[in-house]
Amino acid sequence: MSNLKKYPLIEMKGVTKEYSPRKRFFSKCQNKVLALNSIDFSIEKGEIFGLVGQSGSGKTTCGRLLVRLEEPTSGSICLNGEPINKLKGIGLKTYRSKVQMIFQDPYQSLNPHLSIAETILEPLVVNGLGNAATRREKVLHTLEIVGLSPADDFYDRYPHQLSGGQRQRVAIARAIVLDPDFIVADEPTSMLDATIAIQLFQLLTQIRKRFDMAFLFITHNLAAANYLCDRIAVIHEGHIVEVNTANNIIQHPEHPYTKRLIQVQPGFDFNG
Amino acid sequence: MLKNHYIQRFLKGWKIFIQNPLGKMGVVILVVFMLMALASFFVPHINPMYDPMTGIDPDIKISTGPSLTHLLGTDNVGRDLFAQLLEGAKVAFIVGLSSAFFSIVIGTVIGMVSGYAGGMVDTILMRMADIIMVMPSLVILLILSSLFGQFNIWIIVFIIAIMRWPAVSRVIRSQTLSLKHRPFIEASRVAGASHLRIIFRHIMPNVLPLAFLYMTFRVTSAILVEAALSFLGFGDPSQVSWGMMLQWVWKSGHMFQAPYWLIPPGVSISLLTLSFYMLGRAMDEVLDPRLRKEGQS
Ligand SMILES: Nc1ncnc2c1ncn2[C@@H]1O[C@H](COP(=O)(O)OP(=O)(O)O)[C@@H](O)[C@H]1O
Ligand SMILES: [Mg+2]
Repeated sequence: MSNLKKYPLIEMKGVTKEYSPRKRFFSKCQNKVLALNSIDFSIEKGEIFGLVGQSGSGKTTCGRLLVRLEEPTSGSICLNGEPINKLKGIGLKTYRSKVQMIFQDPYQSLNPHLSIAETILEPLVVNGLGNAATRREKVLHTLEIVGLSPADDFYDRYPHQLSGGQRQRVAIARAIVLDPDFIVADEPTSMLDATIAIQLFQLLTQIRKRFDMAFLFITHNLAAANYLCDRIAVIHEGHIVEVNTANNIIQHPEHPYTKRLIQVQPGFDFNG
Repeated sequence: MLKNHYIQRFLKGWKIFIQNPLGKMGVVILVVFMLMALASFFVPHINPMYDPMTGIDPDIKISTGPSLTHLLGTDNVGRDLFAQLLEGAKVAFIVGLSSAFFSIVIGTVIGMVSGYAGGMVDTILMRMADIIMVMPSLVILLILSSLFGQFNIWIIVFIIAIMRWPAVSRVIRSQTLSLKHRPFIEASRVAGASHLRIIFRHIMPNVLPLAFLYMTFRVTSAILVEAALSFLGFGDPSQVSWGMMLQWVWKSGHMFQAPYWLIPPGVSISLLTLSFYMLGRAMDEVLDPRLRKEGQS
């Protein structure tokens, strides 16, 4: 078994994503948007990996590719060494139960017509896990984990009865209820106050410790990434310009763009 | 507890709705017609001569004006006009609500599928909707019934529904388009939900209020189409309806001699369709916060 190659949990190999604008009559210019240009990185089991860049640099696109909401134009993405590009049907469903996402805007990511319980139950229901009683237990347990307690109290509420921070906790609960190996967190606190952001960071750290889940933590805030991440990749106009441990990125930035980012973000405000 | 949320929403909507003068008036008229429709079930039991279709007053051989035994008078064979008017209310509700309901169901499902699927499916369904939308439903019904003879009332209901889904499906489709890239839909996809589940579990509750709004407008048009069809002599001859009453008053040559026969069904058609229209307008306001007065939320 020693000759078996050890694969990283998730790996992007030369991934490029081009958005082509809609074809229109009489319009000759067909400038395509190159959202991601030959991206390479890999994330280990249980690691929090930061992806830092300005708005429009391609961070969200990267996260959406990882959860298969979008297909790469070229390149491949592998989970435990297995390419996921071609997955369909059962294979895709299995992949999705291992890879989850937390979206940026908690006011948009919860269906206003579903109760908190119905929202968190959905991943369990569509994957056919457990029966009504065990699912209920699982949801209550998960609510406690994300700090919505007493869980009974939140179980039957609706999103409009919750604050932004509480909604994002529900979104986190939905992401972890299947015990995935990997979670994409796309600027999960950029819509929230700094104090709430810090609480959520602490929650993510706890979850990582407890369940050994890996995260891709997307942010435009280097300070937030430094607080939370083991390693950081800096992305600029669809290119990864530098990958290093969080400490090294902050203390010994190599790429001029990273240096500039550090200069313009001196404060430790946590609106990651 | 679980459905509390819907009840709360409903009560809140109802409050805004009933504060609106159009909504209030629409509800009042509607309640009057509903009572009439209910009364139609009891009137024949008072006296068999009050049966709207077969009840004939043995003493009367020609159309007579209002009297104590016949509140609105009788038609030319001695049938009670008030009983017919009550029966007409019942039929208008049945025709209006059921064909509106069918067209809303068809339109909502096609609109959601079309908007969600996009591509070829969308193109085909929407071209189909365009084709049906430009066909005048009354003319089509006239042609069909002159080809196949007079239709049963349920076939008329069904044809009206088939003719009237496209407008609904367009509205529901555009609503679906604006929903399908919302993060909560994508979150559901990431969780592994199937397309069918996303359409019926996540999109449908969000478009249903709009579908109900359109239902009130569909009721109006279904009642009008059925009335016009009956008046023109292509209705279900075994079924009393307001349009049928107008057809009989015309055919028996009493159009200008018997206002007590002509006016009640005419006014009823106008008032009932108007009340559904007013309901729809008032509901519009509940659903679209931009139309509300200040201070309501
Ligand atoms: N669906 C899309 N169609 C066309 N262009 C897109 C689409 N999504 C993103 N883009 C473009 O791709 C680039 C990267 O976007 P995004 O990944 O959202 O950046 P970030 O999350 O870092 O702000 C931007 O230039 C954006 O305009
Ligand atoms: Mg983004």
